[in-house]
Amino acid sequence: MSKRELRLGNVRVLPKDLFPDFVKGLALFGKVYAPVVRPDGAHVFSPVERVADIDMAHPRTMLSPKKYLFPPETEMYQFSPEKGYFDPPVDTAKTVLLGVHPCDINGMLILDEVFRRYYVEPRYFARRQSLAVIGSSCEPDDKCFCKSMHSEYVDKGFDLFLTDIGDAHFVRMGTSIGDDIVAANPAVFRPVEDEDVRAYKHAENCRAQAYKAQVELDSLPQILELEYDSRVWKEAGDKCLSCGTCSSVCPTCYCYDLFDRLNLDVASGARVRRWDSCLFREHALVAGGHNFRDGRDSRMKNRYFHKQVGFVSEFGRPSCVGCGRCIEACPANISIIEMIKSLREEVKV
Amino acid sequence: MAKPRVGIFGLTSCAGDQLVVVNLEDELLDIVGAIDLRSFIMAASHPVEDEFDVALVEGSVVTGEDEERVKDIRAKSKLLGAIGTCAVWGGIPGALNHVGRNTLYQAVYGTEEDLFKAREARPLRDVVKVDFSLSGCPVEKHQLVQALLSLLHGDLPSFPTVPVCQDCRFKENVCLLKTKGQLCLGPVTAGGCLARCPSHNIGCEGCHGPLDEVNFAAEAALLEEKGLPRERIARVVRNFAHQADLARIM
Ligand code: SF4
Ligand code: SF4
Ligand code: SF4
Ligand code: SF4
Repeated sequence: MSKRELRLGNVRVLPKDLFPDFVKGLALFGKVYAPVVRPDGAHVFSPVERVADIDMAHPRTMLSPKKYLFPPETEMYQFSPEKGYFDPPVDTAKTVLLGVHPCDINGMLILDEVFRRYYVEPRYFARRQSLAVIGSSCEPDDKCFCKSMHSEYVDKGFDLFLTDIGDAHFVRMGTSIGDDIVAANPAVFRPVEDEDVRAYKHAENCRAQAYKAQVELDSLPQILELEYDSRVWKEAGDKCLSCGTCSSVCPTCYCYDLFDRLNLDVASGARVRRWDSCLFREHALVAGGHNFRDGRDSRMKNRYFHKQVGFVSEFGRPSCVGCGRCIEACPANISIIEMIKSLREEVKV
Repeated sequence: MAKPRVGIFGLTSCAGDQLVVVNLEDELLDIVGAIDLRSFIMAASHPVEDEFDVALVEGSVVTGEDEERVKDIRAKSKLLGAIGTCAVWGGIPGALNHVGRNTLYQAVYGTEEDLFKAREARPLRDVVKVDFSLSGCPVEKHQLVQALLSLLHGDLPSFPTVPVCQDCRFKENVCLLKTKGQLCLGPVTAGGCLARCPSHNIGCEGCHGPLDEVNFAAEAALLEEKGLPRERIARVVRNFAHQADLARIM
């Protein structure tokens, strides 16, 4: 429990029948976005129109909240003969992200590191600072392996965190904004009682037992290095369609492409940043037609090495948070859990 | 600076790409004002065909006349761009390339006589040097505008080479291939259409043609696993890009 030590002053209880009032009260802190069930059944972070559309418990949304911080396409700068280079406006409208799961909060914390380590990306942090994050607990399914990636809990990165304890949410306050939200909505919260603490502990324990999927992290970077030439890469490369889906849906993939979009005067325009994927052939194509990663197997390998080897040595943890999105979405049914298992098997031989 | 001399031409095709040019309502006046449009039969009579800085050619090379025409255009043009999937991949005129023209003559004209010196539909690059390509059936308006602006700026048009799936994911569509087992060629098809068909619950038919490197074999195997007959898969792939290394899927 050391990581989750709670000072009882920082917790409250939000009875579920008051949840609609709670959501209403959030409007004061920005436009509210939450996992909403679309008519086609997909769970998507969207503006909340009706509280009844919110489904915070579903394991994963199609795209992660990455899309609000680092949108699929962004204008990095604009240019014109008169004004030279100049910044396009950044949308800094106050935004409340409600129902963000621990894996995705950890995903955002990872992106924070990436976007400030060598060069601070101002657009990213302008958006980041306009976000209030209200985390929520979840029920792992057979594709969630956040626990293996040490991403199943959060002790920072949220303003409030709601844990489902039956007919109420156990609310942790993470920041002063969280405090403000509670202070501004006194009628929807009540103090924590012993019974709530018991229910909270119970919920946490149940969740810890609920994991079905697992990836062993021990010496994984070394195993990947040892299995650099493994048939596992070749087999996955033969199956992979280079569709880039795994990168698009990943809360921590941050590669991008840059290109210019011209206006009709052919003198002004914008430099556009667009999500890229290392599974695309052109990702490592350079001048002269040379490609560092010509084969799909080497591109596949790159994705795993970046997340599980390179990121670990640079940032001290894998950049994968175990959200299971790439497993759920890959049309070729390539699973990171199975891949890592196979590679581990190879070492045993 | 003199305005670039431009010609827009059609070979065997439906003229759909030329129509996209005419339909550029908002941008047309700006663009036409910036160029010297010398030949564009669809929009103006009295073409002047001496020299072009840029030729945009739609359609595939099917008849003897097509072949002569595109060679002549090439000889007169500094840059030649293939516009539309027919010009880039052979397109729909090539959908039945594997059947043989005499059989098709027989079916359509009741004779096997080679009336138009027709042969298998070929993309322009099989016949002449092509400097840039813009696929699509028809080409996407937004890509055409950017291509024309790039040319005016003095650059060869280029676009992110990503599959249809990327925009489909950006839109957070439910994946037809993965989730519904539908035939969708999104993973092997060049993007640009903003995932038009999957966004309407219809599998991508590949109208933009394939990307340079695609894994048809794996896509075909996957579709077969989902119970789609090989012949149906082959037919859809052939519709727009007969040349797309069909050997690998048949
Ligand atoms: S690699 Fe896959 S499981 Fe890991 S964070 Fe990215 S999408 Fe989630
Ligand atoms: S989602 Fe699957 S098929 Fe698509 S690029 Fe990733 S690994 Fe390859
Ligand atoms: S529906 Fe088609 S285009 Fe969209 S992600 Fe799935 S395979 Fe790709
Ligand atoms: S989804 Fe496929 S068939 Fe539909 S417009 Fe796009 S490329 Fe063409």
